[in-house]
Amino acid sequence: MKLLLGLTLGAAFGAVIQLSGASSHTKIINALRLKDLTIMKLILTAIGVGLIGVHLLDALGVANLKVKDLYLPGLVVAGLIFGVGFAVTGYCPGTALAAAAEGKPDAWATVLGGLLGALVFAFMFPDLEAFLLSIGQYGPVTIHGSFGIQGLLLAAPLGALCLWLAAKLPAGGGAR
Amino acid sequence: MTNGATHAVPVISWWAGGLGIGLILILAVALVQPIGVSTQYVVLDGVLLHRILPEVAAQSPYLVDTAAGWTLLNYEFFFVIGIPIGAFLASLATKRFSTRLVPLEWVRRFGPIPGRRLVWSFIGGFILLFGARFGGGCTSGHMISGVSQLAVSSLIFSAALFVSAILTARWLYGDWGKR
Repeated sequence: MKLLLGLTLGAAFGAVIQLSGASSHTKIINALRLKDLTIMKLILTAIGVGLIGVHLLDALGVANLKVKDLYLPGLVVAGLIFGVGFAVTGYCPGTALAAAAEGKPDAWATVLGGLLGALVFAFMFPDLEAFLLSIGQYGPVTIHGSFGIQGLLLAAPLGALCLWLAAKLPAGGGAR
Repeated sequence: MTNGATHAVPVISWWAGGLGIGLILILAVALVQPIGVSTQYVVLDGVLLHRILPEVAAQSPYLVDTAAGWTLLNYEFFFVIGIPIGAFLASLATKRFSTRLVPLEWVRRFGPIPGRRLVWSFIGGFILLFGARFGGGCTSGHMISGVSQLAVSSLIFSAALFVSAILTARWLYGDWGKR
């Protein structure tokens, strides 16, 4: 039952990624070049809806949350590395799978490279952990948690701000 | 050679796509847990390696932890397997399935040589997943799920990711100096 649910939610996610152009190399690269902000508008909308919805569920006590640990400076280094891969491939780990299934051979190469990168990381982990992951460990910190307030109080206005920004940002030209 | 322009055109608008992803996240949080993708690359690695070289796989505590029980039969992996299935069906339904090898923007900048694009896609993929595992998440887990939960780690990772990706893209695609 859980497996079927996972497959269904994943398939819906993959379909939305495909239909909205998030798996398109051209769309992603032009978003990063700040020439076509469609993908930025899409991400802001997703986060805006997510912020409000997730914290509404939390306020009702029915959210299954999973907040990732904060560690510095490791996370900044990780984000910088990820960004280079994102710009070189034009895909992220999820959209590469979608693009591969749409028939794009370069996305297959990205997935294979990704499998190798993840494997190398797994074997380097003990060394990296000692150097970069174990210093500046703060645990699963949230913004509202560190202020000691109800998440929805912050998530509602921030979510609205994201949606407003998504609407206000210029779409830019099409894929060309 | 390439027809990058036609299949790149989205069939649903940014707000419909964003709303769709937001609602999938809400449903996932209500029913199971936030969405995430990149961990499953490690899980697949672990299960495959354990099939071929079980002793080597067992040497990595990270693999042992992540690919718990050396099985793919769990919710998280099935969610990730669903992504290509959904994307495949969506591309077929909208007649946008395409085997273009070199993307349009890449051809303009680096030429139509397939080998070059494939090699760099592989290297880029390596960097991408190395960074994702280092940061403990990717665009789904950190940017969509994490920022929606107001996680400080996710906000920092996402900010660093965008700064680096925008600078790299502008440099790679030669936007400096010629506007």
